[in-house]
Amino acid sequence: MPKEIFMPKFGFTQEESEILEWLHTEGDNVEKGDPIVVVSTDKISMEVEAPETGILSGIRYQIGDTVPVTEIIAYILQPGEKLPKIKQKEKKSKESERVEEKTGKSATPLAKKLIEEKSLDIDVLAGTGENGKITKADVEKFLSHKKVIPGKIKATPAARRIGVEENISLFEINGSGPEGRIQADDVKQKIIALKKTDTGGDVSITNTIPLIGMRRTIAQNMQRSMQEAPHMTLQIDVPMDALENMRKEINAKQEKKSEKVSLTAVITKAVALSLKRNPILNSQYSEKEIKILGEIHIGIATALDEGLIVPVIHNADRKDIRQISKEIIDLTERARKAKLKPEDLSNGTFTISNLGMYGIDRFTAIINSPQSAILAVGKMNRCFVPTDTDIPAIQKIITFNLSADHRVMDGVQAAKFLSDLKNIISEPKVLLK
Amino acid sequence: MREISYMEALREAMQQAMEKDERVFLIGEDIGIYGGAFGVSAGLLEKFGPDRIINTPISEAGIAGACVGAAVTGMRPIGEIQFSDFVVLAMDQIVMQGAKMRFMFGGKAQLPFVIRLPGGSGTGAAAQHSESLENWFVHVPGLKVVMPSSPYDAKGLLLSAIEENNPVMFFEHKLLYKTKGHVPEEMYTIPLGKSEVVREGKDLSVIATSIMVPRSIEAAKILSEEGIEIEIIDPRTLKPLDEEPIVSSVMKTGKALIVHEAVKTGGFGGEISAVIMESSAFAYLDAPVRRLAGLDMPIPYNRTLEYHAVPQVENIVEEARKLVKGVY
Amino acid sequence: MPKAKNKGQLIGGEIEKSKAEDLLYMMVLTRAFEENAEEMFALGKVHGTGHLSIGQEAIAAGAGPALNESDYLLNTHRGHGHSLIWGGDLNRMMAEFLGKETGYCRGRGGSMHIADVESNNLGSQGIVAGNLPISVGVGLSIKMRQTNQVVLTLFGDGAANEGAFHESLNMASIWNLPIIYLCENNQYAMSMAFERAFRIEHISARANAYGIKGLTIDGNDVIAVHKAVREAAERARKGSGPTLIEAITYRYKGHSKSDRQLYRTREEVKKWMEKDPIKRFAKLLDVDDKTIKEIEEKAKEEIQKAIVFAEQSPEPEISSIMEGIYA
Repeated sequence: MPKEIFMPKFGFTQEESEILEWLHTEGDNVEKGDPIVVVSTDKISMEVEAPETGILSGIRYQIGDTVPVTEIIAYILQPGEKLPKIKQKEKKSKESERVEEKTGKSATPLAKKLIEEKSLDIDVLAGTGENGKITKADVEKFLSHKKVIPGKIKATPAARRIGVEENISLFEINGSGPEGRIQADDVKQKIIALKKTDTGGDVSITNTIPLIGMRRTIAQNMQRSMQEAPHMTLQIDVPMDALENMRKEINAKQEKKSEKVSLTAVITKAVALSLKRNPILNSQYSEKEIKILGEIHIGIATALDEGLIVPVIHNADRKDIRQISKEIIDLTERARKAKLKPEDLSNGTFTISNLGMYGIDRFTAIINSPQSAILAVGKMNRCFVPTDTDIPAIQKIITFNLSADHRVMDGVQAAKFLSDLKNIISEPKVLLK
Repeated sequence: MREISYMEALREAMQQAMEKDERVFLIGEDIGIYGGAFGVSAGLLEKFGPDRIINTPISEAGIAGACVGAAVTGMRPIGEIQFSDFVVLAMDQIVMQGAKMRFMFGGKAQLPFVIRLPGGSGTGAAAQHSESLENWFVHVPGLKVVMPSSPYDAKGLLLSAIEENNPVMFFEHKLLYKTKGHVPEEMYTIPLGKSEVVREGKDLSVIATSIMVPRSIEAAKILSEEGIEIEIIDPRTLKPLDEEPIVSSVMKTGKALIVHEAVKTGGFGGEISAVIMESSAFAYLDAPVRRLAGLDMPIPYNRTLEYHAVPQVENIVEEARKLVKGVY
Repeated sequence: MPKAKNKGQLIGGEIEKSKAEDLLYMMVLTRAFEENAEEMFALGKVHGTGHLSIGQEAIAAGAGPALNESDYLLNTHRGHGHSLIWGGDLNRMMAEFLGKETGYCRGRGGSMHIADVESNNLGSQGIVAGNLPISVGVGLSIKMRQTNQVVLTLFGDGAANEGAFHESLNMASIWNLPIIYLCENNQYAMSMAFERAFRIEHISARANAYGIKGLTIDGNDVIAVHKAVREAAERARKGSGPTLIEAITYRYKGHSKSDRQLYRTREEVKKWMEKDPIKRFAKLLDVDDKTIKEIEEKAKEEIQKAIVFAEQSPEPEISSIMEGIYA
């Protein structure tokens, strides 16, 4: 019996994976457990193993293909067996297909909702999303324009067709036809004009980076996060001397480098404790309710060549700093070697991002959806600050910048989290518990 | 190739058809020694005798009924209704009998007859002798409707109509009878149900029938000097209509003007307009489809009024200009 | 189709005895068919309307049998009897009534348009006098092909006032066409009584207007009808042109099934029923009431079979809806 190889589901919310590399080709003999193909999902690469010993056959997808989970991607045949007939599964939901079929234009779910609500003509909208996808912001921009009776625009069928084909929004065009009707030529003129402003004449393209894999996932997630969550940012400058002194002391007693406690580890623990005191920061937003989460799993944003990945320290509040430190080292190494497992990346409730090693003083990070906040950590700087008696003293300062979802919390709550964090870091003994 | 008139072309078609097939005969008023009210059948009586060139009393219902009865029993009659206006007296035989017998009898009868009808205005014949009624018959399933616009088309289309195994309403235009053109001497057919692109152009698709075809050609010359190039399509057969050349043309030019002599309201222009709207040409329209047609009135006697009651060359020029320049 | 034979014992000096017995049966069958049709209409089994010829059976029985198989028939909407005589298949007629695919017109024509072109039944008419100009064409065609056929053209008293009647008779007269114009004058054109629609006493007088032979006969006398039609056919085939025969008869039922018959009295109907054509012909043939009853039973059986055939026949396929419009 031919054995099916399915695209496995690695994460709870995972819906599809991308084929990155085939490690074997059609007709190869493989052993049970041999990795056959490398797939990528939500920023991790995973190997799919052969479920049986036999001949790899009937490969259905190629590099770059996006495959829904539980789809058959290939078969293992025994000598003499034939490939079975395949049934096609429906990929998209019927509704989104309907809107898209009608117009050839696609829109995000939120955009589609708004379009239907306002009975708009999807034809006249231009999308700024991926592949010209219409986003909610695009729809809102259209609606706010003064000229428009929402949904109605005076244009000839030819003008509309060109608008759809070239992804030009008609509402910005002045029509030269009777009563301001937009003619085909008006749209063509607009296209020429736009081309001019885009590139200021002829500009050449030296390289293109295909939007696949991790890059695409990051692009989608960042965009969605920015569109959906109103980001509010708060900064606090935290003196690190006390914490650094404590760390130095601990590490002096350690011989092995692997046992030394990193700055990131202690910051992680400090954040965990502050989250404990400020649970609203450790939550998730949904349409009906805000969910306060029971566990504290902190993700540490890690840079790789291909992009950004966020391995998670689970239950950071309950682990000691040595353990956290070891875990961070281990996760980072495995991340670099593309050996992370799904559980390493799952269930994060808060994220810390640190660009200090790149010389960044302070920066704003984008919330790692569906979390409610993210902490951006900058470089430790030596600064002159006035003491109580107004005498300049040198302090080691790190600027912590919190981005928080204003749907979930207000400034006061975010501020309290930061001031608690500062207090914890300033009295670091609490971290040793 | 020699040049003969539209009228001579029709005569030649009938003569050649009757020589070839003894089932073909002509029946109508004053078609014998008189040679037909417009001279179309002149000389045929001498060639074929009174048994095949049958002169009738003034009995349009009788003429049409004779065509039906002869056709259903194996003959191939051509009936001439002297002025197309008089077809009203033959309506039952054409519409209720000839058009429907095959269907009513379960597809078992065959009605191969042609009714020739001289129509149109411009001769001062006034309201009851100047009609353009072709669209009435476009509306009757079971009939085919043909309108030749040139001598070449007249002969080829009439020969096809005679060979056709269904009833054909063949609308000739009085003012075209004397127009001349190149016509092959041998028998040839132009298939029914095929439109013709008479002139190519990029700026506007003009769909014209009968006498409006030569008028559009005149208009095209004038417009060309202004840098406007119109494409002219002659459907030739109104029913069944060959839509494809019309649709392709409109997709190319984005603009359409339909020109016919018959009254605008309820005229064939509405049908073509709807066909364009329902076709893939819709997404290429850059202006509304316009119709240039007869005024909604009976044809008046006064010469000037008669002239202005239907589209003339200058009207076609003006309307085309407006469409191309974006007035509509 | 029953042919007239001039052999053996001739009933009324016209029709051979066994042939006459066949004709009696056809009359009974026709009436049974009509009565059954009436019932089916009344029960709502038939879509549309129907026009019954009950009371006029003698004309159908006398006319068709006087002609050849190759002769043409142009029928009216009240022509079931003629269609049956013209070789009509009961099954196919019943199937057409019910609009079935196996009907004479594939269910597309119905009661009013029954036709069988192959057996030269050129169809029934929905337009009064609509078949009269057509007969001119048929006549011309016969002359041109020189086939010695004739065309029997049926119409009612109402048709004689349509313009088409006059155009047709005139053309037939000037060209000597082989047409038998047989007018079934049943005294009423729908609700219009004959006396009110005509100033003349007999429609046959109009033959004079066209210089052709015209005669009025007792339409309820099979022999009279047979003789008149036979002689008219002989004249036509000789080249003497058309004949106008007016056959006086009466219809027992209304014009169509929705006719409330407010334009005549029950007494009048009863009076005509006493002169019933089937009874008359049976008497002429010396057939007793008992035998009549047997014949009626046999006819009813045949009709039942036809009903079963028709009811079991398939409806036309919707996908074939546009078939048969053009050749």
